[in-house]
Amino acid sequence: MNTQLSRKTRLVLPLVAGLFLVLAVAPALALEANEYRQFMGLDSRKVIWFLAQMHLFFAAFVLGVPLFAVIIEIVGWRNGEARFDKLAYEFTSLLSVAYATTAAFGGLLAFALFTLYPTFMGYMAGIFKDVMFFYALLFFAETFLLYLYYYGWNWLSGAKPFNMTTRRIFQVLGAAIVAIGLLFLFGIVGPDMRGDTRVFIAVLYILPLGAGLLIIRDPKSSHIMIGILLNIVGTAIMQLANSWAGFMMSPAGVDAEGVLTGSLWQAFENILATPIAIHRMLGNLAFGGLVAGSYAAVRFIGAKTQEEKAHYDWMGYIANFVAIFALIPLPFAGYYLGREVYSTSAIMGNNMMGGDFSWTFIIQAMLVGSLFLISNYYLWSGMTRIPGAERYYKFIKFILGAIVISFAIWLTPHNLPLTGAEVGQMGGTQYHPTLKFLGLMPAKNAVINLIILSTFFSFLLYRRGNKKDVVSIAAQGNLPRIVIALAGLAAIAIVGQYAAALLTMDPATLDLPADRAEYFRTVGYLLVFNCVVALAAVVLALTDRGKLAQGLYLAVTAFNVAIFLGVYGFVVMERASPFLRNVAVAQFLQLIACLILVTAIDLFLFRGAKEIGTLKWGKMTVRSQFALLALTFIITMNMGLMGFIRSGLRGDWHIYGVMRDTSEWAYTPSNYTMTQMVGFAVLVFMIGVAFMFWLGSIASQKSKQEGAG
Amino acid sequence: MSDSVIKAGIFLLVLLGAFLWIGRSITNLTGGEKTVSAAVEINPEGGEAIYWGKGRCFTCHSVGDRGSAVRGPNHGQFGERFALPMGARAVERAKERSKKTGETFTAVDYLIESLSNPGAYVVEGYKNEMAVVFAPPISLNLDEIKAVVTYLQIQGGELDMEAIDSNPSDVTKKFYAKIAAAQAAGGGDPDLGAEVFADNCSECHALNGEGGEVGPDLTGIAAKGLKYIDKSIRSPASKIVAGFEVSEVIKKDGRKITGIKTRDEVGEIDITKADGDVVTIARVDIKKITEDKTKTLMPADLIEALTVKDFQDVLSFLILQKQKVAEK
Repeated sequence: MNTQLSRKTRLVLPLVAGLFLVLAVAPALALEANEYRQFMGLDSRKVIWFLAQMHLFFAAFVLGVPLFAVIIEIVGWRNGEARFDKLAYEFTSLLSVAYATTAAFGGLLAFALFTLYPTFMGYMAGIFKDVMFFYALLFFAETFLLYLYYYGWNWLSGAKPFNMTTRRIFQVLGAAIVAIGLLFLFGIVGPDMRGDTRVFIAVLYILPLGAGLLIIRDPKSSHIMIGILLNIVGTAIMQLANSWAGFMMSPAGVDAEGVLTGSLWQAFENILATPIAIHRMLGNLAFGGLVAGSYAAVRFIGAKTQEEKAHYDWMGYIANFVAIFALIPLPFAGYYLGREVYSTSAIMGNNMMGGDFSWTFIIQAMLVGSLFLISNYYLWSGMTRIPGAERYYKFIKFILGAIVISFAIWLTPHNLPLTGAEVGQMGGTQYHPTLKFLGLMPAKNAVINLIILSTFFSFLLYRRGNKKDVVSIAAQGNLPRIVIALAGLAAIAIVGQYAAALLTMDPATLDLPADRAEYFRTVGYLLVFNCVVALAAVVLALTDRGKLAQGLYLAVTAFNVAIFLGVYGFVVMERASPFLRNVAVAQFLQLIACLILVTAIDLFLFRGAKEIGTLKWGKMTVRSQFALLALTFIITMNMGLMGFIRSGLRGDWHIYGVMRDTSEWAYTPSNYTMTQMVGFAVLVFMIGVAFMFWLGSIASQKSKQEGAG
Repeated sequence: MSDSVIKAGIFLLVLLGAFLWIGRSITNLTGGEKTVSAAVEINPEGGEAIYWGKGRCFTCHSVGDRGSAVRGPNHGQFGERFALPMGARAVERAKERSKKTGETFTAVDYLIESLSNPGAYVVEGYKNEMAVVFAPPISLNLDEIKAVVTYLQIQGGELDMEAIDSNPSDVTKKFYAKIAAAQAAGGGDPDLGAEVFADNCSECHALNGEGGEVGPDLTGIAAKGLKYIDKSIRSPASKIVAGFEVSEVIKKDGRKITGIKTRDEVGEIDITKADGDVVTIARVDIKKITEDKTKTLMPADLIEALTVKDFQDVLSFLILQKQKVAEK
């Protein structure tokens, strides 16, 4: 173990040290003429593109896997189920090689940037030198914590409690940090900052740190704390790097000549830094889950015994579950990021949705729609391993219909893909008299909500597949009363606060005349109605009419978000266009509230219910495993595609409005070039992943042999 | 394991093949690969390169059946809606304008107006949403804009290089001046700059008779030059206009009032505070009054509150404020 650790440390250290060296000698060069160099005559932009993409793929995996590995470990620890602990360990074992590869690509990317784009990187290093040093130092923490987390798994597996004094110290410390985190979250303490940055720091750094300390009571919980710290440090590394990407798109704290006139914090906390970080965070989780899921799928396809099949089937299921969990809010994080891009520059926003990248977004819509469709297919396939699930097969065709129609609408472009001659035949317009409406945001917001609700519905059917009948919630004591009531309160709070905001909103805040307030009020009252239904659902659930409660709240939410607001969105677009973004928020909040309350009810509705039969893990078609693989491949392509859009939005600017790209590559590549570059990066990444899996398989064979011996 | 990896690999190659096919099909549909825009001359060939390249005109406009964008009007002859191509259309529109206003307005005036002030004439059925082509991220320079005008003019019209380049009309000259001024200010958008001014500056500064009086009237500020305006925003204390020095009044009851002395009578003075409130103080109540010529009420950290783009926009707006109230 020590030999491995030192070998990896030796690999990372020179790279980090090299980065230090280059940063230390790089002056601020913003005002000098840009210099570009080439390596062996290669297109420097493509070299950087490829290396950055590879670094991001591996980094996303390395940051995503620990997120759910810790959660799975906590589930195993709380429920006393060793199989979850083993699964978390198996997921973590995939990280070892990936981490070293991430660092290697990171070092290569840094050297390539400094050697091929010296002026640009010199300037960036001049502005962010302190952040870059901090970034490099965090790598040491990440390295130490990752190896401690992985190699310390067995060492810190004991359940012998620490003495009372030690536990009290941790509890007091944890409670204090949680209290500080809450005060920070609500802006009572801490410096002034953007609201999203404040929430990001509180929710992902301070509160988990406090919660981790609160649960420490024995070696195993200490190990979980190490996992939490690993995630905190990993998230911080990602946030620091995101600030540079955000700065390139929305520079802050500098003047038009690039001179730092404000503070480093302003440059760091630029408009797009946190929206990108939020989007990446969820993306990493989904990506990590699916790459781990593809590992399970490959092992399943190659499994020789039923026991192996059962294990990898279960592993794939958990990984897919994690991915869906992250995929559901991802479109909304994307919407928020897009909105902030528009806030930064309307031209950049128009170029994104209606300019150079409008067709790239059509490809993206195909990929995202495929992700949801295939995820559902995997869930439906999974129902074949559940005795009794055949009772619910009849719903699948309706869900499939809803998803396919929604997918088709999601894909419909506003202006149709016609040639100039075809446009001429349509009288000079690309807008089809009917289909044009399906290409607009109200239709797209409605169907993405419906796709998510349909996926959630599939998941509910999956969960109750082998349950004979519901159990009495009222007879389960106080726990369901507390949990369901709290979930109801959360749902009402989420929707209600926005209803209050809309009912009191002044149209002038959106540059709209006073008579447009009626549109705000209509949506506000709809949200109030949603709150009333949420309350009714809680009452019904607690009086043993849980199925009715779920059905009622799901139906009302589906009607509100997909039908009412879907149609009303067009009215708003016509009469009060700026309010359309608020309609999208109203849709999102109702959806989230629905997911929270219906899940809470579901937890108790079938808690300890009689089972028709036990789940037959391993009784899955090979086809379903290819679905898992397809999900991984598609999300990887989608990551590359979205990276192309995000980076390409700057046009021919290295730093938007501050430093112009004067190189021979200062133009937006075509979608074909994008698919070539992203496709090549995906192929190389997958070859790397296959190598990692192979290493994992020989390691597991070795441990089995040792176990047998 | 190896068999399953090979199967997965083949599956990946199939998906990647589909991905490449989609990318290739879309690229073919949308005009093929783009290349970097080299420096262009003021002629239709240069304009064509800008139109279909750096200028990104093609993202919203088409020329006849070349291109597929419909967000903006087609610049060629296309269906009943666009019976005349752009060059000939500009001649007609210019005639309409001349007839309506009684002032000379040429086809070149119309074309350059379309690029420098697109909201002046919005074609029916389209939105006033055209990007500012001389601001980031497009940032065309004046020669590139002239080149685009030549390209548009030859679409069914007669090229008039003299009106475009060597001897522009007064109307065209004004637009050129606007573009040059905005570019000198870092390529900002003057229209957005007006919004930035309204949000951040007008509470204290008047412009053309509107706004606050805490700071100097900025009507005609362009006459002071770009550097002056730039420095005044970055470092307000370095350029304090006479009469706007900060006075600090300490009253006999110990209270301190800081602001600009806006009235000075025998018996009393007025101090205008940073928030615009005017405080009248009787001389008998004053213990001490000091005037600091190195201080200003304008926030020293204003530049920190503005984004780069806001700063460029407001600078480009102010550099266009050449007309004094008296001249209007």
